[in-house]
Amino acid sequence: MSSLQMNALYKSYGSVEVLKGVDLHSESGEYLVLVGPSGCGKSTLLRCIAGLESITSGTLSIGGRVVNDVHPRDRDVAMVFQSYALYPHMTVAENMGFALRVQKRPPAEIAAAVAKAATLLDLEALLDRLPGQLSGGQRQRVAMGRAIVRSPSVFLFDEPLSNLDAALRHHMRVELKRLHRRLGTTIVHVTHDQVEALTLADRILVLNQGVVQQFGSPRELFDFPANTFVAQFIGSPSMNLLRREDVTLGVRPTDVTVGEGDVQATVDVIESMGAEALLHLLVDGQPFMAMVKEPFTAQVGDTLRLRFDVVHRFDPQTGERR
Amino acid sequence: MRRFLAALLAVGAALPAYAEDVVVWHAWRESEEAALQQAADAWTAKTGDTVSLVAIPFGAFSSKLETAIPRGNGPDLFIAAHDNLGKWTAMDLITPLQGSVEGQRPATVDAVTWDGTRWGLPLAYKSVLLLYDPTRIAKPPATTDELLAVAREYTRDGGFGLAYQAAEPYFHAGWMHGFGGAAYGADGKVHLDSADQEAAYAFVQELTGPDGVVPAQPTAELMTRLYNDGLTPMVISGPWFLGGVERPIAAAPLPIVSATGLPARPYLGVDAVFMANGAKHPTPATSFAAFLAGPEGAELRQNVGRQAVSWAALRSDDPLLVALAEQAKTAVPMPADPDIANVFEAQARSLRRLTRGASTPALSASSAQTYYTILSKPPPPATSPVPYVVLMVIALLGLLGWNVQPLLDPNERARVWAHRWDYLWIAPAGVAMALLVVVPFLTGATVAFFAHHGGEWTFVGFRNFTDILFSRDWPITSPMSFWYTLVVTLLWTVTNLTLHVSIGVALALLLREPWVRLTGVWRALLIVPWAVPNYITALIWKGMFHAQYGAINALLGLAAGSDGPAKIDWFGSFTSSFLANLSTNTWLGFPFMMVVTLGALQSIPRELEEAAKVDGAGYFFRLRHIIWPLLRPALMPAIILGSVWTFNMFNVIYLVSAGEPDGSTEILISEAYRWAFSRGNRYGYAAAYAVLIFGVLLMYSRTANRLAGKKVL
Repeated sequence: MSSLQMNALYKSYGSVEVLKGVDLHSESGEYLVLVGPSGCGKSTLLRCIAGLESITSGTLSIGGRVVNDVHPRDRDVAMVFQSYALYPHMTVAENMGFALRVQKRPPAEIAAAVAKAATLLDLEALLDRLPGQLSGGQRQRVAMGRAIVRSPSVFLFDEPLSNLDAALRHHMRVELKRLHRRLGTTIVHVTHDQVEALTLADRILVLNQGVVQQFGSPRELFDFPANTFVAQFIGSPSMNLLRREDVTLGVRPTDVTVGEGDVQATVDVIESMGAEALLHLLVDGQPFMAMVKEPFTAQVGDTLRLRFDVVHRFDPQTGERR
Repeated sequence: MRRFLAALLAVGAALPAYAEDVVVWHAWRESEEAALQQAADAWTAKTGDTVSLVAIPFGAFSSKLETAIPRGNGPDLFIAAHDNLGKWTAMDLITPLQGSVEGQRPATVDAVTWDGTRWGLPLAYKSVLLLYDPTRIAKPPATTDELLAVAREYTRDGGFGLAYQAAEPYFHAGWMHGFGGAAYGADGKVHLDSADQEAAYAFVQELTGPDGVVPAQPTAELMTRLYNDGLTPMVISGPWFLGGVERPIAAAPLPIVSATGLPARPYLGVDAVFMANGAKHPTPATSFAAFLAGPEGAELRQNVGRQAVSWAALRSDDPLLVALAEQAKTAVPMPADPDIANVFEAQARSLRRLTRGASTPALSASSAQTYYTILSKPPPPATSPVPYVVLMVIALLGLLGWNVQPLLDPNERARVWAHRWDYLWIAPAGVAMALLVVVPFLTGATVAFFAHHGGEWTFVGFRNFTDILFSRDWPITSPMSFWYTLVVTLLWTVTNLTLHVSIGVALALLLREPWVRLTGVWRALLIVPWAVPNYITALIWKGMFHAQYGAINALLGLAAGSDGPAKIDWFGSFTSSFLANLSTNTWLGFPFMMVVTLGALQSIPRELEEAAKVDGAGYFFRLRHIIWPLLRPALMPAIILGSVWTFNMFNVIYLVSAGEPDGSTEILISEAYRWAFSRGNRYGYAAAYAVLIFGVLLMYSRTANRLAGKKVL
């Protein structure tokens, strides 16, 4: 089985602690996304799962088996690197068949497996090309193909879409979702883009500075963020936080009705985005954003009335949800 | 007005003195040089003419004369040993020095006479003597039987009774003459295989064999150390040996050969003064030469320079000079015939094998004669250069036409004219290339069409090439044949490159490992073999391979647990000699490959290896399928360069094994050197060798380039 489990996982480089007590229990076949800002430890965590980094303390289990000291090749994981790491001197077919060649499988078997993955990813026409002769998107698919051919228990994707342009990224997001539906294998996907997390994940692990902020489904994270960090990280535009003496109020720009309610706000900047407009307001002197539908008539400096439809409460000191 | 005239007079007086500076070249040092300087000062005081003394290193002396004098850059006089007299007259380097030789020892006058003409004035004579430690040997042995008996007493506990350079014909001469042999017989011909020669070899075998009293492979330094350490009480050497000696030392003439009753008669070398051809100040030079050779000069040279002067009337109480004078009575003047070099080369080869224990006296004698015959072979008959010149002209015209033809097109002409300034920019580099590469190459290639023998050049066309390639003078399997040497050179190149690359790449990979500390220190240390000049490294390794006192044998003995050093004669067999060369050159060569690999490894992204690791590839699978294919494009140029350098690695072969045994470990380039400088100065033959080497390497580099493009390695 390809379930993934981490118990109190710590990772340090010398005296620098990078991962601080990560706990994670995931079911077999889940699409997990590790998300967080740069330097939060998500890539390190992925490399620990792969076996490319050693674990300082805690346990890591794949399929119920503790794999802390198991060599990468015996963990039955396949990794797609951010830079794709394609072997430049081998053709696409040879790249994809590499792992099976290592296992000394018969050539016929290797060819069949490569052909199957090539069909899945639309790479049949490129099998004899060298990586240097491919575009970025094609290389990314070859890297995927190389992982797929291995039929592993877990796929590990390290920022696979970061090097693609926006349109291609969107297209590949959809493809990834389709792929997961077809293969049904556990996927651990690392990204700094919360949109990818929301659209692809079955469950999301939010990390900040090596500490797990929240682990749950996209719905859970969006509707019930566990702290102000998650609240502002998930969702775009990010949630507004209003500081009061004994509580911090969190209101999403999309949960605001303009024109009614008791809250007074002054218009500072209006960002019109075609179908909608993002209003940058000042409430009690604090910045506040509200999303409204276009056309919208208001001027800078106008005073508006706001009603908060959904309000989240956080402790002003700890940021935890109340 | 008066002051002006006085100044003019002063300048006028100075001018002749400057113009009349007699230039004298010499290779004397220390006390001899001091004596020469004093003589020059005394002569200047007497005559008012000045002398300019120029000290020249001994090793470069001969070649400096040969290159400077024909160009008019030579001295007025030069002081040298007489034995190159024949060669100098053949090369027209000297003109007879006028003056009287009355009062000089007759033997020394004979030494400076050649072909009926007296060419120089004798100054001093020297020969080898029996040098011994007077604190341990009260009376020097008078016969060879006595010599052996005394020597045997001292040959134990690491000591040897007698030390001398047994494999050098110069030092062997005493025994050769003592048994009745000679370089040139009464009929003027060379008989190296006579019974007398064989008897002399037998005696040498007794001296140097397993029960012998003489150390193996003695160098001057070794002999000095053995003497100073008290391990060897007797040495056969000349006055030059005294300089490094720290213990008391006495001299006596060589003993009488017991078997024949004849005295052992070493070669007599005479230092004489000669006048160079084209001397600018012949008159004052003749005067100075006469002064130097005469009684006043002789006295200075004897008392200050400690020379055994040829001025017969002068006597000395110096025991060294007394011994030399005694020895001079029986010493044989060294033959000045240029052919003597071939005799020496032949004898040296036989002596090397004999003292190594690889030959018998009979074989040594006969093979010396055979080898001499090969070396002194007359040049091939001259052929007409006309067909070659015609071919050359046709080729040149063809080349010219091929270069001019594009210019017939007006567009091309315009293009070239538009770039005329570019051609000017590269002109300096082009000229430098032409002068430094093209001209020497063409000159060398031209020399290959001639044969040189005793100063004469004859045009022989392709004869040199056919002689080399068709191995006319010896079987193909003989070490003297081109093909044998080619095979050895190929073997040399392949084994070296394999080791260089394996060791270099392995070390580079090792330095990447995370568990290695102080990588910076290791990297610096591992580059040291490459950084030290390879001349020095070769000499050090040669010393380490010495059969008796070398570090390698000592370490091997230690490792094997035996109570003494291992007894491997490294230069006695092809395999061990080849291995000695191979070790030295591998030591020199692996850092280059290591550095290239280190650089190339940096450019392999770490993620490629990580991906392979996750995909299940073990270390050696990754090495073979990921690292090596990415390393190869960087290593290929390095390998091509390395193989060309190794193919032509003269230094290591010449300095470490010197081609031993018997020229079997020579590679093409060192073989060419031997033909040019050790075997009768066959410049044309050697030049043909060089052209063939060029041809081989040219073919190789073209093939290697094409192979590299196809990634076939």
